[in-house]
Order: sequence, then C-alpha cells, then structure tokens
Amino acid sequence: MTEPRSVSLAGNDIHLSFGQNAVLRGVDIEVPAGDTVAVIGPSGSGKSTLLRILNRLYEPDRGDVLLDGRSVLKDDPSRLRQRIGLVFQHFNLFPHLSVLDNVMLAPRKLKRLSGDAARESALAQLDRVGVKHKANSRPGALSGGQQQRVAIARALAMAPQVMLFDEATSALDPELVKGILALIADLGSEGMTMLVVTHEMGFARSTSDAVVFMDHGQVVETGPPAQIFEAAATERLQRFLSQVL
Amino acid sequence: MTGRAAKLAALLVTVLLTYSLAPATPAVADTNLCKPSGKDGAIALPRKLATANRPQEDKYTTADVEPLNSVDIDALGLRTPRTLVVGTQPGGPPTSCVDPSGRYTGYDNELLRAIAAKLGLPIVFAGTEFAGLLAQVAARRFDVASSSIMATEARRRTVGFTNGYDFGYLSLIVPSGSSLDSFDGLGSGQRIGVVQGTVEEAYVVDTLHLQPVKFPDFVTVYSSVKTHQIDAWVAPAMEASNVMRPGDTATVAAYTFGLGNFVAYAVAKDNQPLINALNAGLDAVIADGTWSQLYTDWVPRPLPRGWAPGSKSAPTPHLPDFAAIAARNHRGVSEAAPPKSTLAQLRDSFFDCDLYRQAIPAMLTTGLPNTLILTICSSVIGLAIGIALAVAGISHARWLRWPARIYTDIFRGLPEVVIILLIGLGIGPIAGGLTNNNPYPLGIAALGLTAAAYIGEIFRSGIQSVEPGQLEAARALGLSYRTAMRLVVIPQGIRRVLPALVNQFIALLKASALVYFLGLIAGQRELFQVGRDLNAQTGSLSPLVAAGAFYLILTIPLTHLVNVVDNRLRHGRPAVEPVDPLASSQEIT
Repeated sequence: MTEPRSVSLAGNDIHLSFGQNAVLRGVDIEVPAGDTVAVIGPSGSGKSTLLRILNRLYEPDRGDVLLDGRSVLKDDPSRLRQRIGLVFQHFNLFPHLSVLDNVMLAPRKLKRLSGDAARESALAQLDRVGVKHKANSRPGALSGGQQQRVAIARALAMAPQVMLFDEATSALDPELVKGILALIADLGSEGMTMLVVTHEMGFARSTSDAVVFMDHGQVVETGPPAQIFEAAATERLQRFLSQVL
Repeated sequence: MTGRAAKLAALLVTVLLTYSLAPATPAVADTNLCKPSGKDGAIALPRKLATANRPQEDKYTTADVEPLNSVDIDALGLRTPRTLVVGTQPGGPPTSCVDPSGRYTGYDNELLRAIAAKLGLPIVFAGTEFAGLLAQVAARRFDVASSSIMATEARRRTVGFTNGYDFGYLSLIVPSGSSLDSFDGLGSGQRIGVVQGTVEEAYVVDTLHLQPVKFPDFVTVYSSVKTHQIDAWVAPAMEASNVMRPGDTATVAAYTFGLGNFVAYAVAKDNQPLINALNAGLDAVIADGTWSQLYTDWVPRPLPRGWAPGSKSAPTPHLPDFAAIAARNHRGVSEAAPPKSTLAQLRDSFFDCDLYRQAIPAMLTTGLPNTLILTICSSVIGLAIGIALAVAGISHARWLRWPARIYTDIFRGLPEVVIILLIGLGIGPIAGGLTNNNPYPLGIAALGLTAAAYIGEIFRSGIQSVEPGQLEAARALGLSYRTAMRLVVIPQGIRRVLPALVNQFIALLKASALVYFLGLIAGQRELFQVGRDLNAQTGSLSPLVAAGAFYLILTIPLTHLVNVVDNRLRHGRPAVEPVDPLASSQEIT
C-alpha cells in the first residue's frame, strides 16, 4: 500500500458550548503536514472535545476546520472521517466481531473492497502493529495493549491522512504504555500527520514537534517541546507542569 | 444439558415410569364421558323435581313450522354459504363434548347434525369457552351455538332461540359430609360454584341473590367440590350426574327447576330465516324418530309432564319408559359408594396411564404441531414488528417515536385474552374474506402483535444499553449513522437481550393456548386444548399433566440453549489458542 501524501490539519477560532457550558472558547490549533503535535492540559480542559470537532463527530458553534488548507465544514462528515483516524482511550473495539473483522469492517463497507483484498490489507495492518497472531480472537480475549494495537490498526486500515489519539494510553496498565507510545512514535516518524492528546509528558517532550497546552477551553501556550517544558511562559502552565512532573 | 436439568428430567421419567407400572386403572372406555350411555343408562327424574310446579307459561314455542321443502338454504344468512358453522363448549358431556377421535359430539351436537342433514347443509363445529359463546353468535362468528343453552329471558335480549329440544333442571352438588341439604341452606357465607355465563349462574345471582364463584367448565368446578375448594356447586343436573363417578367425594344434596325455560339452539337474533329453518328441521327429526333415538342414546330420562320437544304441532315422541328402566337397574340419581382413598384419587386424577396413552398420540399429531405453528408464526410477526418498533422508538423523529410509544403502551397494557378476543371478534368480521372466516390466523396475528410490543421494548433496551463509544467509534471510521447502527450497535443490542427474548418466546408458547377463545375446529386445537378436552371427557387431570409435560419438554431445552448461546457470545467461540494471561484481568470498559 502506498502511503498517502502528508497533509496539514488546522482549527481556527473554534467555539463549542453544551448548553450553558462553554467547552471550547476560541481555540486555534495547527498541525503542519507530517508533524506530530502533542496536546496537554488538565482534565476537562476541552482536549477530547477538540479532537471530535476536528473529525466532526461534533459540529463547532463557530470557527473552521482546515484539512490540507481547505475548509471541510461543508463536506460530507462521513467522507471527512475516512481521511482522519481517531483512536480512543477505551479502544471501543466491536466486541461482537473478531479482531480481523473489526479491522475489515469499514474498508469493506466504505471502500467496497472484496473480502480477500480487505482481509489481506487488514492482516497487513495487524502485522504492522504486532497483533497479527490474534486476528481470529474476539477483542475480549486480548490484553489492553493488544486491544489498543487493534484499534490503531482499525483506524489505519482506512488509510487516513491524519491520525488523532485521544489519551490512547490512559486506560492501559503501566507496563503496556511504552509499547503503544513507541508504536505512535513510529507512525509519526513515517510521516503521518498526528495530533496526540496525552498525559505522558515524556512522550510529548521526546516525540512531538510542537506541544499545545490547553486549559478551560482555550489554548494557553504553544511551542516546541523544549520551550514548553524548560521555559514555560505562563503561570498556569508552570503550575500544571509542577503538578504532573 | 446441565446437571440440574438432567436431574429434573430423570425425576420426571421416574415419576412417569412409577405410575405406568402401577396397577392399571379401569379401561379407557370407562373413563370416556363423551359417549352415549344407551337406554340402560336411564335415570329417573328426581322426586322433588317431578312434584315441582310446571314451568311458567311458554310464550316462545312456535305453534307450527314452515314445511321443510320450502326452506331456501341460500337465504339463511349463513356466514359461509351453504355451511352451518356451529360453536360449542365441549366441556359438558353428555350433551356437548369431544370424543377421543376429536369429533365434536354429544346429544346437542348429534341432534344438530341430524337437523342439518334434514336441511341438506354441511356442518362444521368449533369448540370455544361457554362465556363467549352467545356473544360470538350475536356477532355472527358462529351461525348457531349448541351447548345445552337454556333459552332464558335475559339471553333473548342478546340472541334468538329455536324451539326446545331438551329441558333442564338444577342440582346442588356438595362435598361428602357437608350438612347442606337444600337450596334454601345456601347463604352469603358459602362459596357457591357455577360455570360462568350459564343459567346456573343466573339462578344463583337473580333468584338466590348470592355471589357465586365462577368457573370455565363443569369439570373444573366439580374438581373444586371434591377437594372442598367450594361449599357447593349449582349444576345442570344431567351434566352433573354424568361427571360424577361412584366413589367420588361429592353427593347430590337437592334438585330444583331452573328458570322454567327449555334448552334450545342459539342463533343471531335478527336471523329469523335460520331459526325457522332449524325449527322445521327439529320437527322433522322428531317426526322420523331420530330425536327419540338420540335422546335415548345420550340423555335417557323421563320428560317432565307438560313438556315436549319442537313446535306445538310436532308429533309426540315415543320414548321407552325410562323411569321403569332406571328402577330395574337401580340407577337412582344419587349413588353411594365407599369414598376412594386420597392416594387413589390422586393417582386417578393426575397419573392415569391409560389416559396418558390416549392423550400423548393426540398431542403429538394435533396439539404439538398447532402449538408450534402458533408460536413460531406469531414469533416471526413479533420479531419483525418488534424490531421496527425498537428502531422507531429510539429514532430522533417524533412522528416515528410517538406511534411506537402508543402502540407499545396499548398492547403491553392489555391482557392477552382481551387482545385475542378484540382482534378475533372485532377484526374477524372485517377480515373474514381474507382469512376465509378462520380464526386461526387471527389468533396468530393477535399473539404476534402482542409479542411485538414486548419484543420491541426488549430490543430498545438492548440497543440503548450499548455504550455510546461503540457508535462513536463506528462513525469515526466514516460509517453513516444507519450503517453504524445496523452493523455495530443493533447486533450487540440483540445479543445482549437474547435471554430476555427467549423468555418472551416461552411466554408466547404458553399464551398460544389462549387462541382457543376464538373457537377452533378439532384439528386446530393446540396442546392445552387437546388436554383440556380430554380432561372434560374423562374428568381426570392426567391429560393436563401430559400437556404440561409437553410444554416442559419444549421450554426447558430452550432455556438451556439460550444459556449456551449467551455464554458463547460473552466469551467467543471455545478458545482454540491459549488465552493471554493478561486478558483475564482486562475488560472492555
């Protein structure tokens, strides 16, 4: 399979309220083509919501989403989501389907691949993330780390141009975290444009090209990892870092 | 099968074997109440009745009838042209019952067959509950009701009647040892049993001004007398004497006249041509001796003074001297025999292996197939409509959600019997052409529509119990809402509710017995009704125990099957690879 050309992803002045609760209050974010951007911040700061606006699981009240420099808010959301993969904290694998069928489902339905072609491609994705030997198991029979690998393979099977990770390691046992982070880092080094919401500060520091710090629905500070972690400009970031490091 | 089920099955087999090896009870022929006794079975009229006052002035019996050859059988208002469709309550031998071959027979029905033959009409019988019989005649579900129906003033408000072909008087049946010896002794402190909708009920309510306990048929009320569940049964004397066996723990305490009316066939009130035709037929079978023959075969007893069958111009029937025969055979109306032991009674009631031998083939050939057809067809209807209701119920569109809600509220809120009667009797006449006036499909429809309401709710709760993350994940892959629901959410929802669905199917299997309220021909009877009819023929509960065993044989494996399927769905197919030790502590959250 040929890797798709890297594209950029950006959100401009994004606002979203759930009733009275303003979750996002004018967020600007940019992920240049092929870069890995880490989003850090306390719980409830709007990080996960931001990801779901970028693939339009939620529609923003205001603002714009640009993929490859072009607004996508008027596109068919299903088509947009095929170009942007999302990996969840709790994996959200389909428990009634085998691992292989989890990965094959969307390509078969949306790309109209034949059974054999979809299977071959799905097995290749499972091999890439290291769980090919579990292809015929049910998700319930897998460890958390293996489940998250399957979820990543499932997202990659649609050959997305951008990958979003929503605290992909937060639900894992500590000894499994490293493997998943290495897998995400590998994807980044292959040129995938990635936005990674994470609580793993070590990962943000060593692997990302830029770090975004969010708090209370706003981007408070953005910069290269060295600047964010060594020379935090705002008091809020300093306080956050002192709590998590 | 699990260990517990195996044990249960073993226990059942042991019990059945034990009783089939036990000393054989009297031959089948003796337990069949639904057969003519012949004139040797004659009984005398009770003395008290013979001396009672004559019935009130009869203003309904016609002076004469139209000539038989002037009857136009195309102008009788029959629901099926040139076919007489008859509703009967088969729990009343010897006047109306089902014999072991499944034929609706008894004095009333055989006489009606003879009358129909005189008229040149084919005749079809359907069995149903007595309580709904007259209503179904009034609604023209049946052309005629034949079930020892007393032509009372109250009933004449609902239906019309032919001339009389029999008479009735009431007896008071009490448990052995009861101090009750007359109708005057009945009071409000006593539990007085009657069959619902009968003239006995009217007698207790209107004449005695008491509130009776109502039963669906003679056999049930008599069982209740024998077991002291009730203090007395006000019974039609003829049927009661037939149901009572020597050695039973019940006796006849007293007799009385009914309301002074004769027994006749009920016909829709406005269908005078049919009443006239049946009257003509009745006089014809009296004239040629058929009436006398059938009367002698089935209900041999002297006619009360001043009463004769048919119109006032019908010839006087020639009957043997029943009083003399009864006296010769010492067949009084009350017989005394030593009461049987409780254990023997229990065995006769529940574990009569001759009756098992008789019941099981009928259940295999008639009852079981019908129960399965009713259950499976209504399940399919219930599943299809149920899924539609569930999808509409979780829809965001109000015009879909509301109708689903209202449908569910109505069908879940009504008793199944009510729905079956409403659909069977309400829709029946409208859909008559579609179903060829056969209530069977309507019963299936009623069961299916009711099940749909429950199944819809089961599906809805199952679908809504699937984590929102599943829909989100499917949509994040680019699947549309519909595709995501169809491939990801609904399959999981259905798997979760499989046990609840199987419970619903079991409920449906049992509810299929209610279709009988619509009146079925002999070949359409399901398990319960086959058992019920045999029970009515014989007075033994054994056929019902056999029916119960059939239901268990159907339902128990179903419950265990679902457990296996449920396990399989929870844990996937039996593991073919070693399970990752880390997996056991990991659950999808």
